[in-house]
Amino acid sequence: MGIDMQERIKPPVEERYQEELEVLRNTDHGCRPENWQMSPKAVRTFILGSQRPIEYQGREYQIEKKYFGNDALIERCIVTLAGNRGLMLVGEPGTAKTMLSELLSAAISGVSTNTIQGTAGTTEDMIKYSWNYALLLAKGPGREALVPAPLYVGMEKGILTRFEEITRTPAEIQDSLISVLSDKVLNVPELGDEGFLFARPGFNIIGTANTRDKGVNEMSSALKRRFNFETVTPVREVSMEKQIILNEVNRLARESKIPMEADEDVAGLLASTYHELREGISAYGHRIDKPAGVMSTAEAVSVCYQTILTGYYYGDGRMDVDCLVQNLVGAVSKENKEDLEKVKGYFHTVVKDRSSKEGGLWKQYYEARKWLK
Amino acid sequence: METILRSEEMAEIMLLPIRHHSPACSYQIEKVIENWKPSAILVEGPDNANTLRGVMVHEETKAPFAIYYSCYDREGKLSEEKGHYKCYYPFLEYSPELTALREAEKRGIEAAFIDLPYGDILAASEKGKGLLREAEKNNYNDDYLLSRNAYIKKLCQKTGLRNFDEFWEKYFELNGFYEDSDTWFFHLLTYCRLARENTPPEALLEEGCLEREAHMAGRIVQWAEKGTEDKKERSRLLVITGGFHTPGIFERLSGEEWGKTKLLFEKQEGVISARDQSVYLMPYSMEAADALNGYASGMPYAGFYQRVWEGSRDVEEAFQKATLDMLVAVGKETRKKDGNLSTYDEICAWQMARGLSELRGKPQPGAFELLDAVLASYVKGEYNAASDLPLRVLQKLMAGRGMGRLCSMADIPPIIHDFEMQCKSLGLKAHSTVEAETTLSIFSSKKHRKTSMFFHRMVFLGTAFAKRVKGPNLQQRRDKNLVREIWRYKWNVQVSSALIDVSVHGATVEEAAASRVLEQLNEDMGAGDAAVLLTQVFEMGLTDQLDTVYDRANELIVREEDFYSIVDALKSLMMIEELDGLYRSGLKVWELVLTGIRKLIALLPSMIAVKEENLPDCMDAVKLLYQITGREGRDVDKEQEMYYEALDRMRKDRNIHAGLCGCIHGILYGSGRETAKEAERACLGYLTGTREQLLQTAFFFRGLFYTAKDLLFIGSGFLEMLDRFLGQVDEGEFMELLPQLRLAFAYFTPAETDKIAARAAGLHGKKREDITERREILPDWYAYGKELDMFARKHMENTERLEDGGRGYG
Repeated sequence: MGIDMQERIKPPVEERYQEELEVLRNTDHGCRPENWQMSPKAVRTFILGSQRPIEYQGREYQIEKKYFGNDALIERCIVTLAGNRGLMLVGEPGTAKTMLSELLSAAISGVSTNTIQGTAGTTEDMIKYSWNYALLLAKGPGREALVPAPLYVGMEKGILTRFEEITRTPAEIQDSLISVLSDKVLNVPELGDEGFLFARPGFNIIGTANTRDKGVNEMSSALKRRFNFETVTPVREVSMEKQIILNEVNRLARESKIPMEADEDVAGLLASTYHELREGISAYGHRIDKPAGVMSTAEAVSVCYQTILTGYYYGDGRMDVDCLVQNLVGAVSKENKEDLEKVKGYFHTVVKDRSSKEGGLWKQYYEARKWLK
Repeated sequence: METILRSEEMAEIMLLPIRHHSPACSYQIEKVIENWKPSAILVEGPDNANTLRGVMVHEETKAPFAIYYSCYDREGKLSEEKGHYKCYYPFLEYSPELTALREAEKRGIEAAFIDLPYGDILAASEKGKGLLREAEKNNYNDDYLLSRNAYIKKLCQKTGLRNFDEFWEKYFELNGFYEDSDTWFFHLLTYCRLARENTPPEALLEEGCLEREAHMAGRIVQWAEKGTEDKKERSRLLVITGGFHTPGIFERLSGEEWGKTKLLFEKQEGVISARDQSVYLMPYSMEAADALNGYASGMPYAGFYQRVWEGSRDVEEAFQKATLDMLVAVGKETRKKDGNLSTYDEICAWQMARGLSELRGKPQPGAFELLDAVLASYVKGEYNAASDLPLRVLQKLMAGRGMGRLCSMADIPPIIHDFEMQCKSLGLKAHSTVEAETTLSIFSSKKHRKTSMFFHRMVFLGTAFAKRVKGPNLQQRRDKNLVREIWRYKWNVQVSSALIDVSVHGATVEEAAASRVLEQLNEDMGAGDAAVLLTQVFEMGLTDQLDTVYDRANELIVREEDFYSIVDALKSLMMIEELDGLYRSGLKVWELVLTGIRKLIALLPSMIAVKEENLPDCMDAVKLLYQITGREGRDVDKEQEMYYEALDRMRKDRNIHAGLCGCIHGILYGSGRETAKEAERACLGYLTGTREQLLQTAFFFRGLFYTAKDLLFIGSGFLEMLDRFLGQVDEGEFMELLPQLRLAFAYFTPAETDKIAARAAGLHGKKREDITERREILPDWYAYGKELDMFARKHMENTERLEDGGRGYG
């Protein structure tokens, strides 16, 4: 019996958007690279949304826009994956790199779970393959005793392999990708003559790396040469950031069966705060000290979601601005205390000014500054 | 084609919409001319440039070049300021207007510009709008009209394109070399109509569009009717205008509007007279054209489209080839600079460009695919300022390089004639592109002084013709003692362009410089700036302007409230005063100086609580006033009295900054108005004061030594106080005050410092040698000391262990 999708905290992308993917696959008449589940154009539509509804089996389906900010970047990513080089997504934490890599994998290969989670403890056998020792002892080295790891699976099936947080893994482990990426063949010496695994078409690698981790394990230039790099930057428009917060928070709420939706104005408030603190300048032109910590959209989403949860379980089912500020404090004082001072400074200048100019929610927001301790 | 737009009155008229600097437009126009065979071609462009057409189409003339329009508002019809105005109309090799004019020349048919003269366009525009907008360089091109509307924003969103330029390239350039002209122009016209409909009507009025269109339509009527009078068969008029205006002009030619347009045109009178307007051709650079196109006023990437145009005979692959060429060129250049780019990178980039064009539904990769391909495949690692070299290289290549050239019969403005004449009479090589050096004895040779004046004027006009490498620098008050100037000079095309650029200001170099001076005087400036300008006028030998600048400087000094700006002005004025014997300006600079010092003395008491960062400037001012008011042979007694009164008042003020206080005591002591004892008492006040005040003593010393360092050598009072002060501060405070103390002692020469140190040593019963010379340590002693050290350490360790052990067992 299959597991009910509702029972998981976060279902994989291909399940969450199963319907959309099916519609796109079946209505796609474009040219597909070998082993791709859909054409590059359909992949683009899946990620950037459709302009008009798509008709399929007598119904109309609107493909939702899932990635905001830079359409050209998505197009470059898709073309890279159809080519000979891997795709490396780099950028600040919380810029939706992982989400993008999942979306690309789900659309292109139909599966986003063929993933290596990079850590300081990642070893080569977690990437390539390891052995089932009982079988190995009983039957000797053979395909049966071999336990394939994501890279092996990707090559064997002709699907994408995702490599998360690649710069967290030691440099020598990262380098085991070099020959695979250039020769598209993996040698398993234990299997003798049959030990050559030639990658099937459709195989490629999507890596993600935080630019804040650069110092941890810098990638070798040999490896860098085998990737096309895409730098994912935070969203530049407040309105877009607000939309992302709304979409994500409402999705999380739906998945947790919380019958509440994010308040548009509160989301706008939060988007402005995060945007202005990140950019160091307010909509009215105030200069703001930028916090050292990460002020990503993902952080804003989590602050907003926490506020919803508090409102639902402890409050009156509304989003409370006081609670929002309390959650904001928790989110910004992660790395150092000075960041909190900067947020206080933001309240004493920008929020104060806007509360007197715009009133309403901004006024409430300013009054909630008492929680900034 | 005929079905697009045609007015059947009198003559056959075809209105063609274009976008400036579009290779596809150029190509299509060529085709239309070939097929339709017009009898005359009318082109958008101020009609006072009609005289230049011959030179523009001359085979020796090479684009890029620009028509330079200038206008002098002599009667103040444009604004009260009666300013000078100028704008540029750049042409590239592939500009549709140029193609049309060239085709006309080739076929021996008539051609003309039909827009309002530049001055009248200005008169038709509102302040800050259209060609009167505030910009460093104004471009006649008004393509921004096509992209500046909410409609295109929505359209780009819908089509998934990032901006109007990408939209334009996708729908008008990439297919422009093979689509049939009817369809192509039909699409363009449709777009232009939509752009116009989505532009607020008041914008059309404010920017002078309506008046221009009325004039253009009037000219068309004139040409059409002329055609019927002259010839038996109907003439065919091809009218080429910016796409935004085409629908507007069409309306004015259709049906009953024809008559109205004609009437209006006949009644029209120029606002700015022709003698106040001039127009010249100037060679232009691709970079300048690209920069001018930058603000959405024309197509960007002039260098890229130049390549496309060069390959346009290969209609279906022109873009593809240009993209590939550029990718290889960027690769080569990046490799040269960085060395970290392989051929495989180039292959990947090419695949990327093609893949993107396919994904985006474009028939060939264009400028935007090129940019994306370089970003994706050439930039390694995170995209930031450290890794963006390939993109910088690409942007440069896409902007293009190279400079245009005009044929020898090109009319040149009088200012260039003047420049050449001056060079000749001064014995300078006016057209040598090799850098020459010349040394000028400016005070002993009249000719040299004249040459120097000429060079200074050229520098002031920003022509990059000459560069002073040595000589007195009056603006920065440096090297005033030098009596010779060394100059390097070189001619290049930019010098001509720069001269044409300033030709609006006058017919000779001197006139232009003088007019620029007057213009600067009207700008917002401080007393300091005015004095600097006076030095420049002085160097340029613009004697007629000296008095005006002098008056303005006087007025500014009287009005100036900024203390430091007056100090600056005074310094420059004093320098002019000192050098006047050499330069012989005949100005009454001393009177200006007097005005300045009176003002400065009046402001002096307000500087009591000066900020630490302004202290040096403030002390400087006090000293400067001391020097000026103490000058012999000048009648400054009254000012001197005022000065000392101010100092006296300041000295007594309790809030005075310690540094300034020290400085004033030094001056008073130096002028004999105070004894050394009095100064000592003031110092003692700080020294014996509360902790905060004690620490201020360091500032006091700094100020005091700045104006009267000899006090330290008279008697022992100050030395003892200094010694006492150093004894009282702890180490932390000392470190904090060290910078001030260092500054205080910076006024002494090394020999003096030495002397002070010897006397300080004396206070502690030591001799000079004791502190300056150290005794030698013999190697044996050192070894013995080390051994002793080891022994002691070992012993101590043993004791420690015993103690620990004892505790353990206890």
